[in-house]
Amino acid sequence: MHKLIETNGLTYYYRKGTRDEVKALDSVNMAVYKGEMLSITGQNGSGKSTLARHFNALLKPGQGSILIKGLSTANKDSISEIRKIIGMVFQNPDNQLVSSIVEEDIAFGPENLGLPQAEIIDRVDWALETLNLEDLRREPPHNLSEGQKQQVAIAGVLAMKPECIVLDEPTAHLDPRGRREVMESAIRLNREEGITIVLLTHFMSEVVHCDRMLVMEGGAIKMEGSPEKVFRQSAEIKSAGLDFPVASQVAEGLRREGFKIKPDIVRTEELIDCLCQLKS
Amino acid sequence: MELTKNITLGVYLPGKSSIHNLDPRTKIITATIMIVLLLISRSYAAFALSALFVGFLITLSGVPAGYAMRGLKPMLPVLAIMWVFQLFLFKAPDTTIYFHWWIFEATAAGLHMGNLIILRVLFLFTVTTFLTLTTSVVSLTDGLESLLKPLRAIGIPSQELVMTLVIALRFVLILAEELEKIIKAQMARGVAFDRGNFIQKTRKIFPVFLPLFIGAFKRAEELIVAMDARSYTGGKGRTKMKTLHMGRVDLEAAAAMIVYGGLLIYIIIFTEPMI
Ligand SMILES: Nc1ncnc2c1ncn2[C@@H]1O[C@H](COP(=O)(O)OP(=O)(O)OP(=O)(O)O)[C@@H](O)[C@H]1O
Ligand SMILES: [Mg+2]
Repeated sequence: MHKLIETNGLTYYYRKGTRDEVKALDSVNMAVYKGEMLSITGQNGSGKSTLARHFNALLKPGQGSILIKGLSTANKDSISEIRKIIGMVFQNPDNQLVSSIVEEDIAFGPENLGLPQAEIIDRVDWALETLNLEDLRREPPHNLSEGQKQQVAIAGVLAMKPECIVLDEPTAHLDPRGRREVMESAIRLNREEGITIVLLTHFMSEVVHCDRMLVMEGGAIKMEGSPEKVFRQSAEIKSAGLDFPVASQVAEGLRREGFKIKPDIVRTEELIDCLCQLKS
Repeated sequence: MELTKNITLGVYLPGKSSIHNLDPRTKIITATIMIVLLLISRSYAAFALSALFVGFLITLSGVPAGYAMRGLKPMLPVLAIMWVFQLFLFKAPDTTIYFHWWIFEATAAGLHMGNLIILRVLFLFTVTTFLTLTTSVVSLTDGLESLLKPLRAIGIPSQELVMTLVIALRFVLILAEELEKIIKAQMARGVAFDRGNFIQKTRKIFPVFLPLFIGAFKRAEELIVAMDARSYTGGKGRTKMKTLHMGRVDLEAAAAMIVYGGLLIYIIIFTEPMI
């Protein structure tokens, strides 16, 4: 498959050259493929955000390189092009909304791109519609729930029509309902709009909806593969400080009780199917 | 402690009145002219006329008058102190002395000076609050941006300044909410903000502002990154989703403004100033 993002020996230091220098990324080799939904997990401080910030040139590699559709983020002239390709949504919606009206906020990105007025209006309408936010278009953000605010932040990025949207723990501040809605939006954008999604998260319930996952530890990629494949390696998962998805925990427990449950169950839906077959 | 309830400056009450429908540029220019006229008004008659005009505008807009004035409440003690200060400390030769005690004299000149200052503050506050109550922040800043655009020619980054204002206005409410949260957290730990004398109260409020400032800086940093990620590189090369249009209401407003302004200037010139 076609590579959208590719890193090569990517290394990054915070406060380089000072006494409290931190090596946040340690020769990372990874790729994001066009059209996939990729999740990146790992404990606090494992370097997820630092890696993600390289994807749209918010940070420049200390050593090694990163290419976005062949463009290097180290090249100043490519940065505006790279930011058109890769959109980014952050953890706290309050700190990324610019305007006091939803539709104006969504227009902010397209306005920055210098698009003609008619095109901006079309894109704002499209983004509002795609994320089911039409009813909120004239609302001020402080009247919205945290989940709705995060949807607005996603719409603001979507209106720039990026090929890839990177979400850095977009559900960390949300209640279960907001979390589910944001997750549904991400999945829909991936399946229906063909947008590549990179999801940084601590929730295994979100990871299992992705095609592929990366596990980071100490600034390096420790594991890589489909959720089924990764969660098979129980010892490594534990040493990376991660949980197992609820479905695989339950499946494991049932297996220990002597039930015949097929291996590699990570999604709740699969577990339900399996249990139904068991019954009949 | 409901801090957000009393903030009316920067709050917008949506509506469909002709005041709401004015082009923001018309409103900004009119409000500016009104403020200048109020600053040169020195007679009770002039303020009476302005009160009539402002009352007319508020009625036309359908904004509840009580709401427009609510933001004044926290300012009242300060206004009262200012008034007392003027009453006793403003000195003028040959003026009536109402009251004399030790080195303090309440004079007619002081009374009028106190009144003048209070009237000016009241009107300035009402006019600016009225402007923000009937104009969304977004159209306000669109209007400002359009009016200030010519300043680019002399090297003033007007678009960036307006963007700063847009963000500051968005963050006022967030910070007020945050302040409330911090105060509640402190109260939960047993700090009684409503007890003690003035100095004790002030000392209790102080530790509240430190986390607020730290929080505000962190927010600002995150916002900068988010704006960067959305390709913001300053005003250059930016286009706008909305463009502004002047219409019939704007002409009517200009006419009303000319009548009021003319009358007021006449009064300012030909009536006795209060001081
Ligand atoms: N601005 C910064 N200055 C200095 N060090 C930093 C900075 N940001 C992150 N670090 C350090 O770099 C390392 C990686 O941090 P990073 O934020 O990428 O981790 P993360 O996996 O995103 O963690 P989290 O799950 O908490 O978001 C950590 O050790 C962190 O302390
Ligand atoms: Mg992070």
